[in-house]
Amino acid sequence: MKIAVCIKQVPTREWQPRLDDSRTWIREADAGFEMNEPDAYALEEALRLKEKHGGEVVVCSAGPARVAQVIREALARGADRAIHVEDDALASADAFVTAGALSAAMRDDGFDLTLTGLQSDDQGFAQVGVILAEQLGLPHATIIMEVQAAGSGVRVKRELEGGWFQWVTMPLPAVLTIQSGINQLRYATLKGIMAAKRKEIRKASMSATASCRQKIVALYTPEKSKKTQILGGSPAEAARELVRKLRDEARVL
Amino acid sequence: MIETLAFWILFLAFVGAFTAQVARRIQIIRAAPDTLSLDNLPFRVKRFLVDVVMQRRTIAERPAAGLMHAFVFWGFVAFGGYTSIEFLRGLGIVDLTGTGWFAGYRIVLVPFAVAVLVGIVFLLIRRAFIRPVGLGSKVSLESIVIGLFIAALMVTFLLTFQLDEGTVPGHANWWVHMLVILAFLALIPASKHFHLVLSPITVFLKSPELGNLPNLDFEKEQVGLEAVKDLGSKMALDAFTCVECGRCQVNCPAWGAGKALNPKAIILQTQEALLGGDRETRLGTIYSNEVLWQCTTCGACENQCPVGIEHLPILIGARRGLVSNGEAPGYLGAMYNNLERRSNIWGLGYDQRMKFVQSAALETFDPVKHDVLVWLGCAGAFDADFQKSLRSLFQILRGRGVRFGVLAKEKCTGDPAKRTGNEYMFQELATANIEDLRAAGPRKILTSCPHCVKTIGRDYRKFGYDVDIVHTSVYVEAVTRGVPLTSGAATSTASVPGGAAATAPTHHPREIVTFHDPCYLGRYGGTVDEPRALLSRFGADIREPERNRENPYCCGAGGGLLFADKEEEPGSRISDVRFKQLRATGANTVVTACPFCSIMLKGAQASGQAETQFVDLMTFVSSRLHTGDL
Amino acid sequence: MILVIAEQREGKLNRASWETIAAAQTMGGDIVVLVAGASPTGPAADLAAARVKEIVTVEHAALEPYTPDAFVAGLQNAITQLSPTYILLPHTYQTRDFAPKLAARMDRSLITDVTLVKIGSSEPVFVRPMFQGKLTADVVPVGEAPHFITFQIGAFGVDAVAKGSAAAPVRALSVPVDASAIREKPEAPFQQAKQAVDLSQAERIVSVGRGIKEQANIQVAERLAEAIGAEIAASRPICDAGWLPMERQVGSSGQTVAPKLYLALGISGAIQHLVGMKGAGTIVAINKDPDAPIFEVADYGIVGDLFEVVPAIIEAVKAS
Repeated sequence: MKIAVCIKQVPTREWQPRLDDSRTWIREADAGFEMNEPDAYALEEALRLKEKHGGEVVVCSAGPARVAQVIREALARGADRAIHVEDDALASADAFVTAGALSAAMRDDGFDLTLTGLQSDDQGFAQVGVILAEQLGLPHATIIMEVQAAGSGVRVKRELEGGWFQWVTMPLPAVLTIQSGINQLRYATLKGIMAAKRKEIRKASMSATASCRQKIVALYTPEKSKKTQILGGSPAEAARELVRKLRDEARVL
Repeated sequence: MIETLAFWILFLAFVGAFTAQVARRIQIIRAAPDTLSLDNLPFRVKRFLVDVVMQRRTIAERPAAGLMHAFVFWGFVAFGGYTSIEFLRGLGIVDLTGTGWFAGYRIVLVPFAVAVLVGIVFLLIRRAFIRPVGLGSKVSLESIVIGLFIAALMVTFLLTFQLDEGTVPGHANWWVHMLVILAFLALIPASKHFHLVLSPITVFLKSPELGNLPNLDFEKEQVGLEAVKDLGSKMALDAFTCVECGRCQVNCPAWGAGKALNPKAIILQTQEALLGGDRETRLGTIYSNEVLWQCTTCGACENQCPVGIEHLPILIGARRGLVSNGEAPGYLGAMYNNLERRSNIWGLGYDQRMKFVQSAALETFDPVKHDVLVWLGCAGAFDADFQKSLRSLFQILRGRGVRFGVLAKEKCTGDPAKRTGNEYMFQELATANIEDLRAAGPRKILTSCPHCVKTIGRDYRKFGYDVDIVHTSVYVEAVTRGVPLTSGAATSTASVPGGAAATAPTHHPREIVTFHDPCYLGRYGGTVDEPRALLSRFGADIREPERNRENPYCCGAGGGLLFADKEEEPGSRISDVRFKQLRATGANTVVTACPFCSIMLKGAQASGQAETQFVDLMTFVSSRLHTGDL
Repeated sequence: MILVIAEQREGKLNRASWETIAAAQTMGGDIVVLVAGASPTGPAADLAAARVKEIVTVEHAALEPYTPDAFVAGLQNAITQLSPTYILLPHTYQTRDFAPKLAARMDRSLITDVTLVKIGSSEPVFVRPMFQGKLTADVVPVGEAPHFITFQIGAFGVDAVAKGSAAAPVRALSVPVDASAIREKPEAPFQQAKQAVDLSQAERIVSVGRGIKEQANIQVAERLAEAIGAEIAASRPICDAGWLPMERQVGSSGQTVAPKLYLALGISGAIQHLVGMKGAGTIVAINKDPDAPIFEVADYGIVGDLFEVVPAIIEAVKAS
């Protein structure tokens, strides 16, 4: 099975937001970067499928030069080779541009299955995987919890709202976006890290054809911060206030 | 003539047997990668004199048996000259037995011989009848035989004062003596008595630091110990020098909690594997995998060993081999992911550390403004419970006029990665921290976590970063000398009716507490007096638990075990065992000086539904500091 | 004209559709609501209560069960017929499955997970969270209309929908869908069988700690769980004592959970427990000890006796 995994490099979750001068993007110089967490689960799923059915896992990433860090990490975990679409503009590009860059670089490889995380931890639009499927003309399914390769197709378990699930079968080649937490991530072993240095990373450039479809006109910090609200008064009063807040403020009841 | 010839034949035969066996072991040792070091020579010489010559370590843990062994050892050394001279005579090379000084020598040897006899009889009775658990479940026949040999040697020596050599009995007595020596010689290499030859060497070669492992060199593609051929020369020496005394075993907290891990078994299994000859055998098959993950790296085994064996390099080295191949247990995988993504073992976001820094009004460290840097560590950054202790610390420091700051960002020191064998992760974290520390340029670092003390203070030296880092108990002890305790109305004369001056400050009654020495503070750091000085100074009456000071019983958090809670495993939790020991002191308050000891023991308290109070050392001190001082 | 695409399954309307109508109403202008499926007339009649211009039904057997191929083909055709400027959808699992494909097929922009629409002098600006909620972004579509927008579930209140004085007209739209071109074969949706306790899927959790004092008292927590539709969980000491099974343990040596609501009753907040529930959306702590570490991470806290507070909460929940 020839499996492609699209991974994105995003600022680490612990990074404190700092805006650039135009205040439409973040100041990257201050940020540390890591592999997007849902993509890490997609990679793990791909590696497991390879272990079960044979084949190769190719990791694809679109971004500036610094993206090589997560590519190496994916290779260290067991991916066989990589494709890196390199362009600085991809750092803040929208999903249409990113998907366009990826599909152009991946089209000729003829992957049986393409996996991505369901969304990215930075912009979080949850679109690249599905747009990629459209650009490659392939069937797809999203928010997948389980993958079974069945003959010349796949049977996958979709997560639905409220604890519901659904199995869907489709022919290969296909695209799947993977839900976080569906498996346990392996860590890159020392041997994997050493072997990664010798694996191929094919560089591709971004064609100018893909045009962007949205623009961030302002980026700012939200007003309310997370502070503990201690509710006082008698037990009955505090309880009533709590229920009110959970209903109207937190909207969890 | 015939006698001499016969003696020569026997001599060559037995010595030949001895040499052949020794040669085989030397060959195994030489085939192993060289891990011998002679750094810090003065320390090694001093330790040799104290532990080997004076037998301190042997006597300290088992006073009675240790002293008896000391008798046997000193007698053995004293008899060296005598044995050599008798052999020279027997081989017909030279006969010095007629000289005057030899006669005097023999007289001097008598008390030694008596001492040896007393010692060996005691030890034989202990081994055969008392049967302490550390010596194994079966009585070792070989040990009994050797013991009887030694007794025979002393008896035959003493008999030389009764029997004339010219007579048949006297002559026979000489032959018995010499034959026993030859037989003994042949038995030495293949038995635990090889320590007679090796232990002075292994003690001398033992690292001055507890749990000392070399860094892995990734350029050279080193991955740790995977197979028998990877075991280093010091490890091979250790495997052959083991006296099977069981001190490591009975002091091991995992073994004490009924787990499968037994440090003595690890060493003996290593010996068996080395002698087995197949250098490709994987270590995971020699020591069952599960056993390797039960070690908390407390170091009790290595610390107690009287013959210089270093258990930790083998255990952690084998862990490295497993981790490099992706065979670490599941809970460690989650911990490594947290370290990689968030640079802390909890996987929590650094905004929490920032919240604490802001709420405690901590300043960013500036070498010009501040005397010391306080390293918060991951517990300080994320554990709200431990942050209470740090607030107490800050109160103390501010009250004593110490100017301090914290780093803008810290990553985990890498201790949990290093002790579980993930050397790559450790080096990533270490190099990042060292860069930040160097940039900040502190002269002195304080931290409340003993693991951070050991990792930054010792392990970071291998990267060339040398800094003065101390545990907060040491620093606080120094800055609170001569400080009055909290008193009632003592110092203010106005509050006493009639204006008479108060005679002495009224102290709180002394509180009965017990102190749990953290392994990484007491055993690794040797810091045992300062916490006690602090407790006494501030009104505590300390009840010592059964394992304390430099030989505490581990709380069970180290070596990655903080996250392991394998219910299916036989035995109890290490933390439960230790908690029982602390409760047995009768004290209702346990004072801790390490965030992880606190987490583990409080967990044991919760599970045991007990009402014991826990207080961190810093909180104890700050609550009793004179309020006027602050 | 703003087109709102409602969601239904087997004749049952998804509540989030109302939220989307509320969002559309903040933008002003004519609103048309489209509902597609095998039998959309029931939901269409419900939707007609809203103050909108009209309800359009797209009825086709190939549209149910849902597949992205059928929906993209069908909706593209419908949109081409209706010619809206904006197309609004709720950000449901189903929308996330087809909307990007539909937008890419039509080469139009799609802005997802919007929480607010800023109406100013010029074009509307769509506000959405970014970077795990650490930042907020104002985003505008680029390119020709129509523009697709999806709205975060819960961002707009269902009750905020303005009702019409009379029912809006309902008309059917004829949309061809080629069933043979559908590549996905879905099976019937199912709910995960509840043999094993899987706290990681629970949306709400009531968790007990040592403060519960005795095993018999756990029923107080169970009644609360029942009242709000939550699962029961516990910290380690409770499971160690055998008062609740090990599968209900939350913490570093138990389960890691990320529910929308986590109620910690009598739990001190030792770090091994915290790392198991730090992912919870809203954390409520009830504890007698005001210094308990759990209050550091809680969103809402009540310092008090849980045996008084919890019954009061159950009362308050039943009352509202």
